[in-house]
This record gives sequence, structure tokens and C-alpha cells, in this order.
Amino acid sequence: MKTHRPNFVIAMAILIIWSLLPILWFVRMAFMNHAEIASFPPHILPSSFNLSSFVNIFGYDYKLADGTISSASGQAGQIELGLQNSVIVSVVVTLITMVIVVPLAYVFSRLDFKFKNVLLNAVLLAVAIPPVSTLIPFYTMYVQLGLVGTLPGLIIIDLTTTVPFVTWMLIGYFRNLPPIERLARIDGFSRLHTLVFLILPLARSGVAVSAIIAFLFAWNEFTFALVLVNGTPATTLPAAISGFLGQDPNPSQLAACILITIIPPALVAFFLQRHLAEMNIADPVR
Amino acid sequence: MAKIELRQIRKTYDRYVAVENLDLDIIDGEFLVMLGPSGCGKTTTLNMIAGLDYPSQGQILFDGREVTAEPPHGRNIAMVFQSSLLYPHLTVRKNIEASLRHSKLSKAERAQRIADAARMLELEPMLDKLPSQMSGGQRQRAATAKAIVREPACFLLDEPLSALDAALRLSLRSELVNLQKRLGTTAVFVTHDQVEAMTMGDRIAVMSKGNLEQIGTPDEIYNQPASLFVATFLGSPPMNIVAGDVSGGVFHAGPVAIDLAGRAIPNGPVSLGVRPQHVTVTAPDAAGAIPVTVYALEHLGRESVVIADDAGGNKLRALVDPGFHARIGDRLGIMPAASACFFFGPDGRRISA
Repeated sequence: MKTHRPNFVIAMAILIIWSLLPILWFVRMAFMNHAEIASFPPHILPSSFNLSSFVNIFGYDYKLADGTISSASGQAGQIELGLQNSVIVSVVVTLITMVIVVPLAYVFSRLDFKFKNVLLNAVLLAVAIPPVSTLIPFYTMYVQLGLVGTLPGLIIIDLTTTVPFVTWMLIGYFRNLPPIERLARIDGFSRLHTLVFLILPLARSGVAVSAIIAFLFAWNEFTFALVLVNGTPATTLPAAISGFLGQDPNPSQLAACILITIIPPALVAFFLQRHLAEMNIADPVR
Repeated sequence: MAKIELRQIRKTYDRYVAVENLDLDIIDGEFLVMLGPSGCGKTTTLNMIAGLDYPSQGQILFDGREVTAEPPHGRNIAMVFQSSLLYPHLTVRKNIEASLRHSKLSKAERAQRIADAARMLELEPMLDKLPSQMSGGQRQRAATAKAIVREPACFLLDEPLSALDAALRLSLRSELVNLQKRLGTTAVFVTHDQVEAMTMGDRIAVMSKGNLEQIGTPDEIYNQPASLFVATFLGSPPMNIVAGDVSGGVFHAGPVAIDLAGRAIPNGPVSLGVRPQHVTVTAPDAAGAIPVTVYALEHLGRESVVIADDAGGNKLRALVDPGFHARIGDRLGIMPAASACFFFGPDGRRISA
């Protein structure tokens, strides 16, 4: 890696500042008090790293160094519920998505059948529709079905986006695998055996990356959560955080919540990066 | 060991006819090469023999037993695919072992078979490597080992050498034929490379547009081509073709007249075909020579090829001594040896005489 030319260094510096500065900005806010956040010119780093916001958002008072009490957030109940529900929704959505999508993408990418193109276009169309456009129809339907404010309701809606999107992604990945089905047929392996024991191990990077994408989508989904589950026992973390903007404005606690929200995606991105690299390096046969 | 018979095989995909009324007898123990340009139906035919694809009409018999609708592993065949396809995530040993999955051999017998196949193809040090850790030639050997370990009735090879470089292809060509002859197993080898076909095949089946053009030994295919297609597809440099007509034992193409020296070619429009080694280079105005303008001179070392345009812009080739000199634009004559000429009727079939 001999790329220490000045242009490269400058470009990388701009790129890093561009993407990390906003994150740095709210991370520092999470450790500041009101006065520090409000002061101008702004402080680059907080004068005292105080952890009060992180304690407050989980419903506990915090005694500051000067003896004053930073009291528990009124949003705490929603935040805790949201964290719990977000984990449930994301894991369930990821599992169901993968169970549906792996066979679906496999069939679309590797087999020929009647009306394949029509069905494939239907999948692509589902990806092309902006999710917001289905918000009102879903809402009226959910009111009738009693699914407003429920986790299954939210999971179903997340699946309507993750399934077509991840299918579309995996089709491309499966298509680039070598045609080992022919080899498998000569060797007398069944279709199912071929998929589970030959294709899946070969496609593990692509499958892992698509599972992560499904997880991230469900974890970050905000629009439907805001309309369907906000303020109910089925609230998710992004919806619960939005409460800080209206009912109980507190920038420091808001920043602390966001910091907690981005930890799982950050961990996930770490693995994504490993698998993405593997997707590039692993040139199956040829 | 198997005799394979194809009876009136027809294969269509929707309205596209891939193979039309194909009758083919593959003799037990022979090395049959199926040769043709891409899209001629040769790979489709091979897939139907393998059972990877099923004919729309017709029958396939192995040693007289009908297998038309039987799945591949029921036919006891082994196949080597284009670019020596292997399971990329399995070691060579596992790849070879996968071929024996449906056999009823004991563990010891399997190990013995794998060891034998590996020894025969000099793969012993590579058994625990992944295909991606090996060279193209080693992968080809591994794919071959995977094929022979089953002791199949028939080897089916789908352009297995096409992804390799020229030198490796040359050495693997003779290696494959040698192995097939030692084992005595029937082999069907698909290729679009006429040199591979000529050098490897006991017989060659030339296909074009879903039809079998001709089947015969390399000698028959080269020296008695049944059609214009076969004549031009085989041979390097390719055969010269001149369109014209015959009347009264003389071939006319524009101002050119070539005396057929008594050969009984019926009057009418014909195409004259003559291989580059059967023409002589003369002065442009020599009687019976086609006047040409030199386009290029290719040195092959042992000989040279003159490539020249005739009056109609048609390229003609002549083999000459390596010492021959000509400059681009020089005027020359090309005179076919009448006895070595082939004549093809308007339907493309050869007129024998």
C-alpha cells in the first residue's frame, strides 16, 4: 500500500471529515450539558465528559459533580421499550427475509420457468415504489385489521420492502456463481441438496451481506414506525427518539439515544466490510 | 463401455430448433468429436446424451437400452465441462469423491479409486488443495480425475480445453486421447476447434445449424468433404472457394476458364473449392490461372501463405516455399490443380466425380 501521494492524503482527509464530522458533532453533544450545547462559539469537545444523559434516558437521576441532580428523562419508558422492540423486529425481519429470499433469489437467478420475466419485473417494481406511497393504504388497512400499534404489523410492512430488495440483490450475486448445478446433476445431487450444501456455502458472503442489509433496514425504519407504532407499546427506537423533538426536547439526551442507536449498525458494518472485501477477493473458479 | 445411439432426435426451444432429426451411432470405445460453430447444436446434443437436457422428440439408447428420459446419474456417464468446472469450495479430493456419491462402494474401495485416479493424473500432491489454488492445467486434470473415478460407460467432454493457453492445450490433447485409449471408454468430445477435432477424434461429426453435415474419420472429413460447409470449416489455412459455372468440362468464373481435365462435372452453376496446398502461383496472365493482387504474405517458417484478392475481392490463399517473395499489390496468378478441386452444387453438397 504505497499511496502516500499528497493528492491522495488530501482527498482521504476531506472524505473522512465529510462523513465523520456530523457524527463527531452529536457524539460530543451526548456528553455536554445544556449550557455547553447552547454556547457560541461552539466547543469542539465537552469541558467535562458527563454521562448524565446516558443514565437519564434509561429512567435514572444522575448526580452531577457540583451536586445538582440531572433528572430522569420522561421518554425513558419509550426508549427502553423501543430498544427491546427494535431488536425483536430487526431479528425477526432478518430471519423471515432470509428464509423467503434465499430460495426465491436462487430460483430467479438459476432456473428457467414460465412467466419468469413477468414475475421478476414484479419484484423489481416492488423495489421501485417509494415506501411512503403505501403509507396511507397500509394505515387504513391496518385500522380495519387491528394491526396498528402492533409488532406483527410493523414486521409485515418491513418485509414488503426487505423481501423484494434483498431478492433483487441476491439474484445478482447468485448469477455470478459458476454453473455447478450441472456438475451436481451429473453427480446425482438433488436440487435441495445442491442449494443447501453446494450453493449456500459458495454464496455465504452474499447471503451474509444481504442478511445485514435486511437487519439494517428494519433497525433504521422510521416512517412507518412513526405513523403506526409511535407512542404505543410496540414503538421502536427511531420512533421513540423522535419524541425528543416534540414532547420533551433535550438535545443531549437525544444525542445519547442516537449514539446507542448507531452502535449495532456500526458493529454490523464492521462485519459487512469483512464480507464485502471477501466478495471482491473470492473469484469462485475461473 | 457403451454404444450410444441417437434416433431421430429433435430439440426445440419454443420456436427455435436447436437440433433437427439427428441420427447418430457412437461406436463402443471410440473417441467421437462433435465439431461445429457456436449455435450449431453440438452442446445441446451432448447435454441430451448426458441427460442434462431432454429431447423434444426421438430416442437415446445406451447399449440398446432406452435412456431418453433418465436423469444423468442413472446413465453412468461422466462429464467434463467448459473451463474444467469443479466445486470451488471443495478440495480436489472432495470434488472427486462427489462423483462416487451414488455408487455402492465401500469406504476402502472409494479411497482406492480416488487414489488410483489421482495417481493416473499425477494429482497426488494436490488432493487437499482448492481449485482456486491450482493452475488451469491442474484443474483440467482434476476434472478428468473426477470423471474417470466413476468408471463410467461414457465420457462426455464439453470444450474442456477452450479456456487454456495454446501450449497447455497441445499437451493435454494427447494426454486425454492417451487416457481414453488406455481405459477404452467411449468418449464424446465437443469442440469448435478444427485442429482439436482433427488431432483427437477417431471420427468427427460436423454439425451446422442443428443438422449433422457429415460424420467420418478425420481423413474422410478432410479429403472427401460432403458439403461446402465441411470443406471450409476444416483445414488451415482454409479452402479457397470460387463461384462460377461449368459447361462442357470447363469451369468458368468471369474471364477465367479452368480445364477440368476430363472430370465429369455436370453443366450448371457450381462453387469450386481447392485447398491452398493444391494451387500454384503463376504469372497473372497464365492460362487457367485466376488473376489476383497480393494482399498479405504470412510466414509460417516451414512454408508461407500468400493471401490475395481476385477480381471480385474474394480472398484466395496459396501455400508457397518459405523463400517466396512478393510485395503487397503485386499482380500474380493462382492456378488450381484440376484433379484436387472439389465442386459444390447450389445446395452446398459436393458433386462427386
